[in-house]
Amino acid sequence: MVLVILTPALFFKNTPMNKEEIIEALKTIVEPYSEEVSALAHIDENTDFINDLKINSANLVDIVLDIEEKFNIEIDNDSMAKMLTVKATTEIIAQKLEANAG
Amino acid sequence: MLGNDIVDLGLAKIQSNWRRKNYLDKIFTAEEQLLISSAKRPDEMVWLLWSMKESAYKIYNRKTGIRNFAPKSLNCTIYPNIDQIKGTVSIDNDTYFTKSDIQLQYIHTIAAPVSSELEEIKVTIYESPNHPSDYKCTKPGCVSHHGQYLALVY
Repeated sequence: MVLVILTPALFFKNTPMNKEEIIEALKTIVEPYSEEVSALAHIDENTDFINDLKINSANLVDIVLDIEEKFNIEIDNDSMAKMLTVKATTEIIAQKLEANAG
Repeated sequence: MLGNDIVDLGLAKIQSNWRRKNYLDKIFTAEEQLLISSAKRPDEMVWLLWSMKESAYKIYNRKTGIRNFAPKSLNCTIYPNIDQIKGTVSIDNDTYFTKSDIQLQYIHTIAAPVSSELEEIKVTIYESPNHPSDYKCTKPGCVSHHGQYLALVY
């Protein structure tokens, strides 16, 4: 006889988002802060917020706050320091989501 | 090595809502937040501190090769004078000296690693649409562009 115990933590665990889903969500967040139509259309891991999307550095703070709200995570200062590219930002979001789930 | 940063106050007003929850906390130290909350004109103080940080970061970035977004690690101190606003910005073990000019339409800060260099810096500020297209040939020590304004230092 097999006894399966479903603990609440296991039961309600969020399905982790994959990288593509995070990038897609990130694209929606950064769009209002950039006027670079072509760079936005071709956003990928290598996109740089300042060099490619020409986002004003004061608006990077808004992006970090939007990310915290959207993903329900907290971005510490050391993590924020790295968030200049889509790649670094996606990695940080994935780490924080994983930490929340675990 | 020189740094400079210009904030178009008109654009800053519509581009950034610094009163947003947690916004100041991500950028400013406790001491800096106190300067803002006790300022007669808090908008002006926010962008003054911001331009100090940006201008110092531009030197720090070129000197160390470090590229990051850590505004809170740049610590501002302001020494207000009658006619000009001088200050320092320290990061890690480095201190940069700043001098700021607050106008109705913009705030401009210049930064240098040595205090006496500030007096030797030549500043040119252009308002659109009068930006020269060939300014790069003049080999400015640092370029800052925001909204209507293009600021060059030599």
